[in-house]
Amino acid sequence: MGRRHPFSIFLQGAILTMRTGTAKAQRYGFIAAFTLPAFAFFCIFTIYPVLQALYYSLFDWSGMSEHKTFVGLDNFKAMFRDPIVWRSVGNDYFLVAGKVIGIMALATFFAVALTRFRFKLSGFFRSIFFIPNVISVVVIGVLWNFIYNPQIGFLNAFLSLFTKEKVDIAWLGFPAHTIWMLLPPAIWAGIGFYMILIIAAIQNIPSSLYEASDMEGAGQWSQFRSITLPLVWEQVKVSIIHITMTTLNGSFIIVWIMTEGGPDNSTQVMGSYMYQMAFRQFHFGFGAAIGVLILVVSLITTIVLQRLMRQETIELG
Amino acid sequence: METGIRNPVLKVVFYAILLLWSVSVIYPLIWTVLDALKDNEQFFLNAPWSLPRLPLLWDNFAYVWNHYHFDRYFVNSLVVTVGSTLLGLILSATTAYVLARYPFRGSGLLYLLYISSMMVPFILALIPLFFLMNSFHLINKPIGLILVYASSQFAFGIFVLVGFFKSLPKELEESSVIDGASHFGTFFRVMLPLSQPGLITIAIVNVLNIWNEYIIGTILINDPQQYTLPVEIAVMQKEMQYRTEWGPLFAGLLFTIVPVLIVYIAFQRKIASGITAGAIK
Amino acid sequence: MRNRRKIGVISLAILLVAMLLAACGQKKGDTASPSASQPAASPPASSASASASAPADSGTKLTGDFEVQYFVGGYGDKWWNKVIDDFAKANPGLNVIKSGGPQINEQMKPRWIGGNPPDFIYIDGAGLNDRQMVEDGQLEDLTDWFKTAKNVDGDLIGDILAQAPQQYGGKIYNIPLVLNSWGIFWDKALFKEKGWTEPQDFQQFLQVGDQIKAAGINPFIHTGKYPYYINGAFLYPAIVSANNNDPSILQDMAANKPEAFRSPAVLAALNKIVQLRDKGFIDKASVQINHTDSQMLFLQHKDAFIPNGLWLPNEMSKDIPSGFDFGFIPSITQDPGGKVVANTSTATVAVAAKAKNKEAAKAFLQFIFSKAQASQWAELSGAPSNIKGDISASNAPNYVKDAAKYLTDPNTVVIPTITYNADVDKAMMDATLALTIGKITPEEWVKRVSDAAAKVK
Repeated sequence: MGRRHPFSIFLQGAILTMRTGTAKAQRYGFIAAFTLPAFAFFCIFTIYPVLQALYYSLFDWSGMSEHKTFVGLDNFKAMFRDPIVWRSVGNDYFLVAGKVIGIMALATFFAVALTRFRFKLSGFFRSIFFIPNVISVVVIGVLWNFIYNPQIGFLNAFLSLFTKEKVDIAWLGFPAHTIWMLLPPAIWAGIGFYMILIIAAIQNIPSSLYEASDMEGAGQWSQFRSITLPLVWEQVKVSIIHITMTTLNGSFIIVWIMTEGGPDNSTQVMGSYMYQMAFRQFHFGFGAAIGVLILVVSLITTIVLQRLMRQETIELG
Repeated sequence: METGIRNPVLKVVFYAILLLWSVSVIYPLIWTVLDALKDNEQFFLNAPWSLPRLPLLWDNFAYVWNHYHFDRYFVNSLVVTVGSTLLGLILSATTAYVLARYPFRGSGLLYLLYISSMMVPFILALIPLFFLMNSFHLINKPIGLILVYASSQFAFGIFVLVGFFKSLPKELEESSVIDGASHFGTFFRVMLPLSQPGLITIAIVNVLNIWNEYIIGTILINDPQQYTLPVEIAVMQKEMQYRTEWGPLFAGLLFTIVPVLIVYIAFQRKIASGITAGAIK
Repeated sequence: MRNRRKIGVISLAILLVAMLLAACGQKKGDTASPSASQPAASPPASSASASASAPADSGTKLTGDFEVQYFVGGYGDKWWNKVIDDFAKANPGLNVIKSGGPQINEQMKPRWIGGNPPDFIYIDGAGLNDRQMVEDGQLEDLTDWFKTAKNVDGDLIGDILAQAPQQYGGKIYNIPLVLNSWGIFWDKALFKEKGWTEPQDFQQFLQVGDQIKAAGINPFIHTGKYPYYINGAFLYPAIVSANNNDPSILQDMAANKPEAFRSPAVLAALNKIVQLRDKGFIDKASVQINHTDSQMLFLQHKDAFIPNGLWLPNEMSKDIPSGFDFGFIPSITQDPGGKVVANTSTATVAVAAKAKNKEAAKAFLQFIFSKAQASQWAELSGAPSNIKGDISASNAPNYVKDAAKYLTDPNTVVIPTITYNADVDKAMMDATLALTIGKITPEEWVKRVSDAAAKVK
């Protein structure tokens, strides 16, 4: 099937439009012509590969062999018994929580500081703060690996300025909680985008509101609480959901370029463990099962968050 | 009128925080430039912030440009980025327009489908994607990469543009229809020009994403003739593990960072409004 | 605001132009890019030798395309370029395609799954596991061919191999090309300068370790991000030493027998790691760094010993400080007077089960398993090849000759190459790393790994 399909419908639509000329046919012809090409692309290059990958979760397949064995739900059963899977889920939620708190606190602060505080150089700061967002994640990984390097890295060299002995902390090698060290690069790289989002929202707030509040002698803090926060809450919500979605689905990249899930699987997240199992340990079916888990966890989390934050709005409003 | 912060201590503190963060962003970039001019020995013997020794190793740039064929990869990246951005733009704009203005049975579902594709772990789809492209004979061809990248932009493009089209006043179309224009005519002659700011902004965001993409690129392109820049950087980084050449690696990184920075600074405002357009719905 | 942005753009543009000028200004003549006509050209690094595909001249019997996949890692690709070019010259009717590079294993993987693999493969580097490939039916059964195969000089290949091919259910699929040994390295020059004794057994190692530590140098660094280095060069030889020099225990481990992991020998070996750890010998940086970082630190004398393989000096050739003189022993965990244990690591070559040109692939095998190519390998790759022969007269570096001496010494226990199950291997790596940082006890190591082995069965 496939490639001829959308175009022929496009043609049909066009012909229909010309011949019949009725408003309804015109309308449907137009809708078809405008949506079907993109939809065909989407089905072929996005939906089909994803569905096929998820289908592999029902097979015992090394990922290299031409033969696959159907095993039903065995991969899922094995997955739920695997303690590393649970640790990965925990690490993912840790990153979600850490990023949401860290990014939102700093991004909101920067947004307010760069709009309401009328600093000189605000434009300059705004340009600078967005820069990490335009840099490739490969570059970010290389940079932060050098920062954390125990011997030639920036962080230890900097700390050594204040100590007598040379500092030799292995920042990515603690027996536990190494996942904490992945938060700074993730936050550093993420802030710009959300800062701009909130800046835009603040700029949409009518200045009359602030003027009135100025007349009453309200300070910055009370203005922030009574005006800014309630009126940018919509954007904050969108940001939180976006951070959650992109973290659950994309956190593997920062993990993989920095620790490969180590030491001793302590920084494994769902995505990196999926990669490890599917491509390093030759259990593609098991990896695909983790892929299904990621999808399900993302969907549930997003829905729950949306529910929770809907209530939040009412309380604040 | 200076009504920002009244407390001078607080003001200094806030300024300090902003400056500190700026340094944390700019410093790594400066560091990249400095390190591109060092050799391995300097990496190990001197403090990370030390200046490179004279004479500066400008050959590192020459070395990566020639030895690693960055000239070719630069062109490849350009072709793939421009091609897929244009294609993705046309397809998501047409879809978004219909979803915003021509509700039909299932249009809400279609919109949700596009948006929820943002939640799918795409790495898993790599192997099926490879076979698909292979059966179309699109492996190692820029056009294959363009098709895949173009469809990867739909979710964001449609998300932003549906909001954008909805924000445009309906009267414009109505008067156009009264003038006897067809649906197509209205879109191409009236709506498209009006949505130019929205289109440009998502184009820029997509250009930045595609310019930096390397995971799909690594799988779909394995002919060194056809590498894009980030694919080459990924390969180079792998190679560095066996042939430690940090100076050239950083020089290579600069070749990818600087063009993006130019695009960013030149179009800064558009990017900002693009992100905003996506959020305001 | 607008002006500042302009200035920003302009200054960056200037930087870009400066970079380009720096690049072009020093363009040298030798950078001919690989010709575009080559079907799947060699990686950029090897552009100099783009003439592999000679014009068709049907004088010889081998014709058609012949594709070689080779991973480029610590050994570099000088030998591959040379041998493939030689082979192409000898067979002008053949269109030889080089598919090599540091990421080639990932890149070719889809083609292996898709049933369209290259003809010939060199199995080395991350992402390839010969055991897995055999299980997946990817490799051609070479059992019968190997019985009678002669190399280009007329020698039976089976006769000249230093290490015989690994057998899977009595069958042969891949033939070891490179014979390597894991072991412990140090700098002889540094030891001489400081008056330290080069250790021959574990006692001496601990003694000199104390001296080194007292001198303010870390005694021992390893590649914690990839713990197979410390496993291969320290743990496995230690297990064999503790098992009365009987390497069959490792074969039982490779066969996923849980009881093998519970042997007292394993515990004894693990306790030697604990000793290093508790004496503070292990550089704290080890846990998070990769091989190049750990090797650099070793070369810079921040650390005295490093567990590694014989490819190390070649891999780091550009960064070896002048005066550095590699000392090497295959194992350091034996008791005084005990035998040295050499854990060998071979890299093998094989023919794809779905190869389109098996004739050419087998001819290539006969071509590369010759004495001439073997000494060339030792020279260009700085590592011993798997072909018996006296290399003392060749141009191979000294440590290669030393290592070859160890490997042929009757007093050395040579462990044949063993590929572990990928899951068990990963479990061992994780557990060993956890042990080095004090996260688990040796008993927990045993429990974890034997559980993993039981699960595989």
